[in-house]
Amino acid sequence: MTILYKTMTAMAVAGAVAISGTAVLAADFYDGKTIKIVVPFSKGGATFVSAKFLEPYFEKHLPGNPDIDVVDRPGGGSILGANWFAENAKPNGLTILFTTSSTANPYVLGKKEVKYDLAKMRIAYSHPFGAVAYTSPSTGVTSAKDILKSKTPLIYGGIAAAASDLPGLLSFEVLKVPVKAVLGFKGRGPVRLSFERGETNLDYQFTPVYLTQVKQLIASGKAIPLWSGGSVAADGRLTDRDSVNSDVPSVYEVYKTLYGKEPSGPAWEAFQAIASVTYAFGLTAYMPEGTPQSVIDIFNKAVADINADPEFQKASLGVTGGAKLFPGSVAEPALKKALQPSEELKTYLRDLLSKKYNVKF
Amino acid sequence: MFEPALIALDMLFEPVRLLALFAGMAAGMVFGMLPGLGGVAAVSILLPFIYLADPFSGLALLLGAISVVYTADTITSVLIGAPGSPASAPTAIEGHALAKQGQAARALGVGFLASMVGGLMGALILLFAIPVAGPIVLALATPELFMLAVVGLYYAASMITKDWAKGLCAACFGLLLGVTGPAPAAADFRFTFEQAYLMDGFSLTIVALGLFGIAEIIGMLASGGGISSEETILTKWGSGFKDFWKHKWLILRTSIIGIFGGFVPAVGASASTWVAYAHARRSAKDKSKFGHGDIRGVAAAEGANNATIISDLVPTLLFSVPGGPAAAIFLGALFTFGYYPGPRMVNENPELMFLIVWSVALASVVGAAVCFAITPYIARLTKIRFALIAAPLLVVMIIGALQATSTIGDIFMLITLGVVGWMMKQADWPRAPALVGYVLAEPMEQYFWLSNQLHGWSWLYRPGVLIITSFIVIPFVIQIVRTMRNKKTEITAEIEEESLTPTLPPVLHPERPRVEFLLAVGMIVTFAYAFYEMQRFAADSQLLPAMAIIPGFVLAVIVLVGRMRRERGLVEKSDNEPYFLLALIVYGFLVWSIGFDIATVILLAWMLFQCARMKIMTGLIYGVLIYAGTHGLLLLMKLEPPTGKILSLIHL
Repeated sequence: MTILYKTMTAMAVAGAVAISGTAVLAADFYDGKTIKIVVPFSKGGATFVSAKFLEPYFEKHLPGNPDIDVVDRPGGGSILGANWFAENAKPNGLTILFTTSSTANPYVLGKKEVKYDLAKMRIAYSHPFGAVAYTSPSTGVTSAKDILKSKTPLIYGGIAAAASDLPGLLSFEVLKVPVKAVLGFKGRGPVRLSFERGETNLDYQFTPVYLTQVKQLIASGKAIPLWSGGSVAADGRLTDRDSVNSDVPSVYEVYKTLYGKEPSGPAWEAFQAIASVTYAFGLTAYMPEGTPQSVIDIFNKAVADINADPEFQKASLGVTGGAKLFPGSVAEPALKKALQPSEELKTYLRDLLSKKYNVKF
Repeated sequence: MFEPALIALDMLFEPVRLLALFAGMAAGMVFGMLPGLGGVAAVSILLPFIYLADPFSGLALLLGAISVVYTADTITSVLIGAPGSPASAPTAIEGHALAKQGQAARALGVGFLASMVGGLMGALILLFAIPVAGPIVLALATPELFMLAVVGLYYAASMITKDWAKGLCAACFGLLLGVTGPAPAAADFRFTFEQAYLMDGFSLTIVALGLFGIAEIIGMLASGGGISSEETILTKWGSGFKDFWKHKWLILRTSIIGIFGGFVPAVGASASTWVAYAHARRSAKDKSKFGHGDIRGVAAAEGANNATIISDLVPTLLFSVPGGPAAAIFLGALFTFGYYPGPRMVNENPELMFLIVWSVALASVVGAAVCFAITPYIARLTKIRFALIAAPLLVVMIIGALQATSTIGDIFMLITLGVVGWMMKQADWPRAPALVGYVLAEPMEQYFWLSNQLHGWSWLYRPGVLIITSFIVIPFVIQIVRTMRNKKTEITAEIEEESLTPTLPPVLHPERPRVEFLLAVGMIVTFAYAFYEMQRFAADSQLLPAMAIIPGFVLAVIVLVGRMRRERGLVEKSDNEPYFLLALIVYGFLVWSIGFDIATVILLAWMLFQCARMKIMTGLIYGVLIYAGTHGLLLLMKLEPPTGKILSLIHL
């Protein structure tokens, strides 16, 4: 019995080695090594906190149990940290850039300060960072379908049009909702306070804050949930509901309810591209161009193991409503497409930003 | 309510948690004393260690550090004159002046005790105010926040007495530094010259270190002696206690000012300290000593700044919106432990709330006591030749600057601002207005723009705005009435008063008239160029820069004309300070070309052997120790200093 078992195990191992030569290597690939995760934002920020949240699970599930060292490199709205990564990181699987759409948007828009080529980088894993829109009861709006019948002008508070507010502003374009966007806030926290004071009446908050802060406002009748950005369906379109916030419709659904047809045109295309970078694959771990596929495979496997880890499931339920990680195999094709939009789409974005929001290129 | 308070106290007295609290305090003290490191650095270094034991120990570790930083940085501000943050600038001005007169013990004693009171008042507020503070924070809408920033700037301007043109021009220069980077109104990046480095604007640490720290270090390197011409005696704390008791109500009032400052994100700390300082000045009968070493200035500033950093936790715990950078990291730690601050937390986790209150209170008292205990030992350092202390201090400042982005830009910026700060010091320009202008420029512009966007001009009539405006208008009117009344009585009482009027210190001419001339010309050129550059910004982004540039230009011209008119024949002070400045610039280029490591070795060798004239063996040992300490600190802070351009070319 035992001999038979041992033989079978040995055969299985041999088979595995035969199928992929990297399997043996992978088993101890990270043994005694340290992975440096560079976060291009400061330590108090959501990206840093998320990287720290994921740290123990990767240490546990990556083969060889490496040490993970999360390092902040803030500056230039994340551009400095990403530039540093592009110049210094080697494609050996030991340095990761963990960042958000704040790094992707200036790249897509072709800002001069950008010295990194995100579309050529490899993707180790990605974490969704959905957002939910909500409004104040003072507008008379009771659900997404009567958003066009607001009693008072809609005022949205934001930080900067060409940064993380872009998908939210594009969603208003898609839905043709007349919104006055007041940009120039210092962060989404102050925006939320301004909403609570009644200075603004339309807001977007990312899932962790939505779950822990805005839900309380909704429960006490001070906010009305509207819609979420949605998530990417099997066909690659942004049509599904956000699995974490499945009680609110997606922008796609709201459009269909309001106008009775499928959304189309440049606004919708732009929204899909920018929203998938910002929400669906909101926090993404990039590795340098040329990182071997074997390293990416190791991460694919670790992501599957983490998602199956009951401890992770329990912890993520509290923070992100139980959002799961995407392996690079899923995130990479979608992100590569979103990071390299057509010229037509780029022109649409540049025109919108420069004409409506005074952004200079 | 009292049961959870006692439970929390019991929980805090677990040995592990007390140990954590004291470990945090130790870190907070060390980093508070090191110029340019301060609270954010202490908290970030402690971050990896918060997971060692249970969540409460981890939070106690952070709270220990947060609570003592502003107590410990009194030591540096008083003894060296380099404030750790804008909120300590008044302490550096008044306290350091007192130290130069041989009264360091008095200044430090009052500073520690005032800090303790501020901390305790902050803890008290956390305890009682959290259930009721929500409406206050929500009542302060964008227009009120704008007015508070204006009040802060106005009160900071009360510093300017001696030479108003220089002081106001310095404030304009500070505003210009503050508007560099993204504009709130349009997606304009101003004065960035397409450098990603400038896209976030200047780092607060680098501006504070550059304007104050570098100039002091240069002075230390060049002078052989200590701070005080008389020996610093630090055993006689008696006068400090006496002064503290004499000004107890002032300290209490200024801690309350500080507490309100904490409710206001971003504007809080600097504005409240200056309001407190101005309050001390206004309530004083004899104002002549302010600016030349007045103990009340120290008492007011320290009472306020420590209260602010604690009450910063109020918005953090109520709304998850941090009041300052250290509070932001504390909030992140709360998140990772699964606590989500908000109005419900008070009811859901009362023991956590009380644990925070107790930790802060205990750390404030013990922190002040420890400061008293260690200061005599630190003061002994002042008897050593200053060139010896300058070497490690300069390296710590450089590390402090590297916290910003860890790129060569940090070093260049530190040295550039260091040159400006040194010139300002030599030319008798007050540097505090520049620092305050820099800090308040951003919130002022941002809140002004948002107020107009959200409310139209109707925000001007909001009751909150009117109340806050009265903080400026009422004292101003009283001042005018008083002056007019004095004028009437002056005629009758002229003869009697003449003998009573304190003899004002004679107007001192700067020791370096040539530097004064160069600085005035430099400012004129800077403002003129900024005016030219400004034409490319969107109209909405031009407002605040114009408010800095146009008056700044005019004032700089006035300073220059005043300088030209003055009698000639003033002799330029001749010592080697300019050469030390030049050496620092050379160091910057060395870091750029051959990297931080080798450049720092050269800098240390130059400071120890050339400036301090150490013997080969002792100098070598001391240098190796400093170098090892430097790398230990870099490792601990997870900073990677820039590598040289030339070296990286060879590698390729």
